[in-house]
Amino acid sequence: MSAIIVLALRIMAALALYGFLGWAFYYLYQEVKRQGANIANKRIPGITLMIKPKDGKPSLRYFNQTEITIGRDPGCDVPLSEDTISARHAHLVYHHNQWWLEDLSSTNGTRLNNTFITIPTVVTTDDDIQCGGYVMSINLSENVIIEPTQRLKKKPAQINEDDD
Amino acid sequence: MINKTQSRLLQWTALFLFIQSLILSLAPAVRERTWDVDFRVSHWLGFIVWAGFTYLAHRTMTKTLPDHDPYIFSAASLLSGWGILTIWRLDESFGLKQSIWLGVSLTAFIFAAHFFTNLALLKKYKYLFLSGGLIITSLTLLFGTNPLGVGPRLWLGLGGIFFQPSEPLKILLVIYLSAYLADRTNIRLFSLPLLVPTLFVTGIALLLLIVQRDLGTASIFVFIFAVFLFFSSGKRRVLIGTGAFLAAVLVLGYFLIDVIRIRVIGWVNPWTDPTGNSYQIIQSLLAVANGNMLGRGLGIGSPLLVPVAISDFIFAAIAEETGLIGTLGLIAAIWLILARGLIISLQAEDNFKRFLAAGVVTYLGVQSLLIIGGNLRLLPLTGVTLPFVSYGGSSLITSFFALFLLLVISNREDNEPAPLTNPRPYAILAGIFALGLAASALSVSWWVLVRGEDLLTRTDNARRAIADRFVQRGDLLDTNNQLINTTTGESGALIREYLYPSLAPVTGYTHPVYGQAGLEASLDDYLRGLQGNPSSLIFWNDLLYGTPPPGLDVRLSIDLSLQTVADDLLGDHRSALILMNAETGEILVMASHPTFDPNQLDDEGDNLSQAEDSPLLNRATQGLYPPGEILTPLIQTKFTDAPPSDEQTLNYYSDLGLFTTPKLRVPVSTHTASNTLNDVRFSPLQIALAAATLSNEGSVPAPRVAIAVNTPEQGWVVLPELGEAREVLQARAANDAATSFIQDGKTYWSYSGLGQAASTSVSWFIAGTPPNWQGTPLVLVAVVEENNPVFVQKIGDELIKKALNR
Repeated sequence: MSAIIVLALRIMAALALYGFLGWAFYYLYQEVKRQGANIANKRIPGITLMIKPKDGKPSLRYFNQTEITIGRDPGCDVPLSEDTISARHAHLVYHHNQWWLEDLSSTNGTRLNNTFITIPTVVTTDDDIQCGGYVMSINLSENVIIEPTQRLKKKPAQINEDDD
Repeated sequence: MINKTQSRLLQWTALFLFIQSLILSLAPAVRERTWDVDFRVSHWLGFIVWAGFTYLAHRTMTKTLPDHDPYIFSAASLLSGWGILTIWRLDESFGLKQSIWLGVSLTAFIFAAHFFTNLALLKKYKYLFLSGGLIITSLTLLFGTNPLGVGPRLWLGLGGIFFQPSEPLKILLVIYLSAYLADRTNIRLFSLPLLVPTLFVTGIALLLLIVQRDLGTASIFVFIFAVFLFFSSGKRRVLIGTGAFLAAVLVLGYFLIDVIRIRVIGWVNPWTDPTGNSYQIIQSLLAVANGNMLGRGLGIGSPLLVPVAISDFIFAAIAEETGLIGTLGLIAAIWLILARGLIISLQAEDNFKRFLAAGVVTYLGVQSLLIIGGNLRLLPLTGVTLPFVSYGGSSLITSFFALFLLLVISNREDNEPAPLTNPRPYAILAGIFALGLAASALSVSWWVLVRGEDLLTRTDNARRAIADRFVQRGDLLDTNNQLINTTTGESGALIREYLYPSLAPVTGYTHPVYGQAGLEASLDDYLRGLQGNPSSLIFWNDLLYGTPPPGLDVRLSIDLSLQTVADDLLGDHRSALILMNAETGEILVMASHPTFDPNQLDDEGDNLSQAEDSPLLNRATQGLYPPGEILTPLIQTKFTDAPPSDEQTLNYYSDLGLFTTPKLRVPVSTHTASNTLNDVRFSPLQIALAAATLSNEGSVPAPRVAIAVNTPEQGWVVLPELGEAREVLQARAANDAATSFIQDGKTYWSYSGLGQAASTSVSWFIAGTPPNWQGTPLVLVAVVEENNPVFVQKIGDELIKKALNR
């Protein structure tokens, strides 16, 4: 009799052990799903650049991507046609919830608010980037946030909470 | 979310450990198969200590480390709780000590989680920590002791508390290397910055190896260093080089260091020396095999048979009592810690933390694999602990400190991991651990599912002897159901009793030290209940108790009333006697003198095997004597006119079947061929079979001594015959010969003769019932190892008369 009770307990112990593992694996699965969703839904605040040539009409450009390249090369996101500007002159990168301006070893350097930058520097609204004769004013003001998917719109609260 | 995950996982862990504690409490009732036992309760203290401190640590973490990894602490507390219960089951005093160590470890853990969550301090004082660790470790060279009294002197003792400094030294080395290499990324191999730590680590490892003979710890240091080199250089050849280096050390150590030679031999081929150098590993494999799928249940197996089960072989102990299912779970829990640890490392904010986490994972992973692999004969045995599980305060504190480092690193405020130029080393390390653990899992399955049967039936499996103390063994009965050998005592203290010791050379014995002999050996499967019982009964007993079902009684053809007479007549003479039913081959009397008392084996076992008069030998079947003229009555059936030539005699013996081995359930010796008549030797059994032809119309019967077994389903069932009767003489010739040897005034034929060889002579006597005998046809053979035909004739006549006049 005791042996049958203990046999039942031995089976229960095995079930408890695998209960632990089962939950651990289930939580891992949930975490993978959540992280995937977080990264997929990570919103990039848009950035608006007011590009003013040395002499000419300023133009307004809006971007919602993580990297914006600036240079003489026509493949750049912001192509600037001026001889003092290098082919790939500088770029703006979004990480750590910030936009960073980085000079890409350009010949004549990049200035931020009239100061040459040597290391990646955080930029914000109303900062002026100067490359050669061009000046680009930054506007990070909201309202221009692009909502990436329809589904997100339904449960914005949940996304915010999980966005750790 | 994190705290919910961790608390849910801890609840499952607590449930698992609670059920295990319950099993351990009830285990004595299962072992002794009665409720009237002392239940085990003391281990609940261990469970309470585990539950209390684990809860406090969990509470602290939710406050001070809100974003920590929720898996690794849960898995580590599963392992530590499992360890405590297993240790407690093996040895209560060590269980208590381990519980205290767990309390100390978790108190330190809680304290650290409150006050020391800034790891920059570790980086800053790296040299201080390392040199402190080194100084303490080097003290073991001078003042080192071993708590067990033997083995490597790796401990420092103070007032009964022992501490092993080489355990924390592993973590201190990890901290130092992380800090040192964090500032030197993409380091070149063979460059100056690497020379210092290389010399340093090699130095410690060699010192440990040569002075302390501690192969395990030395190889862990080398592995940790190799992984750091691999991470900072990204060169795979570092790992290959280290593997080659360790293999070279193993080969060199094989020739120079005894401990390593023993370990390597035990690893490569343990089967040749199972009682000596390979004793540990084979006992470990037996424990794993005995665990089977579900395990015996905590407290119901016999893991104490494995040496140092509380530390080095705790994996084998766990395998025996929780089975393949349990060990696979254990391996999965270790994988959870290692895999999460590497993810924590990859997500770390800076290089120091990244290296630190990877180093900690390497330490935990390599040590786990070394000892699990060692227990399973995947790797040579190294005496290291299984982190979190094995007994050992230093090991437990170190393991929890390693866990604490991982938890702090996982508690990131910043989302962004530090830049990583080469992710490949992390993938390769994860792959190595995954492969190692998968190999361990496959290895457990192999020993359980494929080799389990072979292992458990090995004679050096002491579990059989233990089962004999708890399970009633079948009785041996004589032909009138009188007890010969029986089992008495209470469950847990059953002993075999030999009520008729004079039969010992025939019935043999079963003994935990001296093994089995005679009928006790050959009928073991019936007496042990493994044959003759329904297979479902055998299965259930194995599942419930880990023992065979109660054994079955076996009835022999021996007739104790005649056997007593024969034993009295033979006395102290070196002699043998067989009285056999000439028709059926059933042996009524089988005596071999001198005899011994198997009840006294405990005291006299060693003397018996060396005694000059060989009492253990069954002279009736194993004694080989020169036949001399004793077969004359048989020879006369064929060669009536002139005596045969030697060659003719040999051919005739061959026709009679005297050069084939009779099949009987006791050990039988024969000479299977002889070139000259002088070399011929026959056993009394063979002479009896040949002589039986004269009383059995010319046929040789098939001898038998075990007649029937008492099965639970069909009652007494006749045991299968081992051989068949053969007609070798013409019935008429046999009858004529028998009649011609009936002497005046006797109702039976008889003949006596001397058998002589170089220096010895034996006296034979054969007799049998005449043709057309109305009762049971009998044949008798007696032989005395002396030149004394009168004596042998006297006892032969007396016994056969008694048998015929019954």
